[in-house]
Amino acid sequence: MMTRMAEGIEFRLTVPSLQISLGEKIALIGHSGCGKSTLLDILAMILRPTGAGAFRFRPEKEAAPIDVAKAWSQKDLNFMGDLRKHRIGYVMQTGGLLSYLTVRDNINLSRQLLGMPDDGTVEELAKNLGIERHLDKRPELLSTGERQRVAIGRALAHHPSIVIADEPTASLDPIAARKIMALFVELVEEMQITVIIASHDWKHIKKLGLRRLAHRTSQNSAGTITETKVTG
Amino acid sequence: MSNPIRKMRNIFRLALTDYFYEWQMSSCFVLALAAVLAPMMILFALKFGIIGSMMEQLIEDPRNREIRPVGSGHYDSEWFNAVRAKSEVAFVIPRTRSLAATMQLKSDRAHRIIPTELIPTAAGEPLFHKSVRIPVGLNQIVLSESAANKLKVKVGDQIDGSLNRRHNGTNERVHVKLTVVGITHLAAFARDGAFAPLDLVIATEDFLDGRAVQALGWQGDSPLEGERSFPGFRLYASSIDYVAGLRDGLTASGIEARTRAADIDIVQTMERQLSAVFWFVAVIGLTGFSFSLGANLWANVDRKKKELSVLRLVGFRTSDIVWFPVLQALLTGILGWLVASLIYLGVETSINRMLLTQVEDGNPVCRLLPLHFEIALAFTVGAAVLAAALGGYRAARIQPSDGLREI
Repeated sequence: MMTRMAEGIEFRLTVPSLQISLGEKIALIGHSGCGKSTLLDILAMILRPTGAGAFRFRPEKEAAPIDVAKAWSQKDLNFMGDLRKHRIGYVMQTGGLLSYLTVRDNINLSRQLLGMPDDGTVEELAKNLGIERHLDKRPELLSTGERQRVAIGRALAHHPSIVIADEPTASLDPIAARKIMALFVELVEEMQITVIIASHDWKHIKKLGLRRLAHRTSQNSAGTITETKVTG
Repeated sequence: MSNPIRKMRNIFRLALTDYFYEWQMSSCFVLALAAVLAPMMILFALKFGIIGSMMEQLIEDPRNREIRPVGSGHYDSEWFNAVRAKSEVAFVIPRTRSLAATMQLKSDRAHRIIPTELIPTAAGEPLFHKSVRIPVGLNQIVLSESAANKLKVKVGDQIDGSLNRRHNGTNERVHVKLTVVGITHLAAFARDGAFAPLDLVIATEDFLDGRAVQALGWQGDSPLEGERSFPGFRLYASSIDYVAGLRDGLTASGIEARTRAADIDIVQTMERQLSAVFWFVAVIGLTGFSFSLGANLWANVDRKKKELSVLRLVGFRTSDIVWFPVLQALLTGILGWLVASLIYLGVETSINRMLLTQVEDGNPVCRLLPLHFEIALAFTVGAAVLAAALGGYRAARIQPSDGLREI
C-alpha cells in the first residue's frame, strides 16, 4: 500500500493482490494521476511502499523468493541497490542515455558495472535492434527512435529478470512507436524476461499479447481520499 | 578484480569521459581557475622575490649584525671572554684606540704612501669572504679593496708598513715587512683599511705610545704593566635576530651601542604587511573561485540530472555519485594549476628580464620556490574539491526515479 498526501487530498494506492509470473508481459494502462507511475516505481523497487503485507520477488526459476518487504522495512538500501543492479532493467521515457558514451558503451553500461565479459551480447542486441551501424557513434547523432532502441538495448544487455518501461515510446510518432514497441516485446519474449510496460496506447499493446492489470479508482464521499486498487 | 575496485574504475572512467567529452565546458572552468590563480602566483612571487632579496641582503651583509660601541670604555679579557661565550655572539675582538691604529703603507708599484686604518681581526672574521685568508703573526695583513687599488698590489705581494712617533724629542720611524694574504671586496669595507692580527695592532699602539716592541725589535719605554684593557671592540651577532637583544644587554650594563636594528625592523615590518595584503587578496580570490566553481557544479547537477539518475538506476550508489563532481573538480584544479603555472613562468621570465638591470647581484625580482607551486596546487585542489562537495551533495539527492520519466 502506498499513501501520498497532496493539497489536503489523500491518494492511496492499494494492491490487494498481484502476481506476475516469470516471463510474463504486463501492461499498466491508465491516464496520468491514476497511480500508474507509483506502482511502477514500487515494482521497480525504487520506491518504498508505505506498508506491505507481502512483497516477494523470485529472480529466477526455482530460486528462493527474496522478501522485498522485509528489506524495505530494514531500510537496507544497498541491498535494494544491488538487487536493482543485477535483476532489473529500465527503459526511460526519453533519452536516459549518457551523452558522453558511445552507443556501444551505453548498451554495455550495466554489464560493465557488473563486471560481465565482452561476449558479443552487445553487438547481437544492436543487430536485433537494427542499430549496429551506430555502435561507435554518440547518442546525439541518433534520431529519437534510434535512441529509444539504444535504451532498450541497455535495459536488456545484462539479462535482468524484469524490465520496467514507463511510456517508452511516448515521445515517438505513432508509426515508429508501434514498430519499436513490437520489437521490444519480441526481444523480451525471446530472452524470456518479464516485462512491465506502462502505456496509454492499449489498442496497440493488446495486439502484442500483454496482460492488462485491472485498476479501479474511487473517491470517498467527503472527497478527501482517492483510492486506486490494482489487482491482477 | 574485486567489486569496489571495478566500481571505482567505472566511476573514474565515466567521470573522465564526461569531462573530456564536454571539453568546452571543462576548459572554461580550467581557464577561469587559471585566471584567478596566475595573478595570485605573480603577486606572491613579486612579494617573495623583492622582500626575499631585501631580507637576504640584510642577512648576508655582516654589517647588519654589527654592534658598535659609542665612545670608549675599558674592556678587559674577562669581559671579552664573557661576551665570546654567548651563543648570540658570532665574533668579538678588542679594538685599540683609533688614533693609535693607523699605519703608513707603501708598495714598490705606487709612489704614494697610504695612511691606512688597522682593523684587528682573527679567525671567524665576519667581513671576509670564505676564500680570504685570515692573517696571522706580525707580518700578514688583508687589505681593503680601496687600499689595495691605491697601492697597486695583489694577493701575495710584499709591502712596507711604517710607523712614525715623536719620542724623547726625536722623530722615530720603524718599518715592518708585510705580506698581503688577502683583499676584501668593496662591500665589506669601503675605506682604506688593513685587517691585521690583534698582536700587530697592539704592537702599533705600543710603539706609537712610546713603548718598546721586542718581537719586532722596536726600541722604547718598558712594556705596559698589568692587565691590558681596550677602549673598544668589534662585535657581531650570529644572526640579525639577536642584534637588538645584544644591544639591549649592552645598554643594560651601561655600554651605549649602535646597530642597524632600525633597518632590519623596517624590512621585517614590510614583510609582515605585504604578506598580510597578499593573503587578503589570495583568500578573496580563492573564495571567489570556489564559489564560482561551486555554483557551476551545482548548476551542472541540474543539467545532468537525467544522466546522473540513469547512473543511479543502473546501480550506482549515492556515495558513488558524489565522486562525479569531486573527480571532475579535482581535474579542473590540477589542469587550472598547470595552466596558471605556465602563465606564471612566462610572466616571471619577462618581468625578470625587464627588471634585470635594476637588480643587485642577480637576485630575481619575481621568483617562486618549488614548494610554493606545491602549496598553490594544494590550495587549489582543496578549494575545488570543497566546491565540488557542494555539487556532490546535490547530486547525491537525485532519486533513481527522476530518470524514469520526464519531470
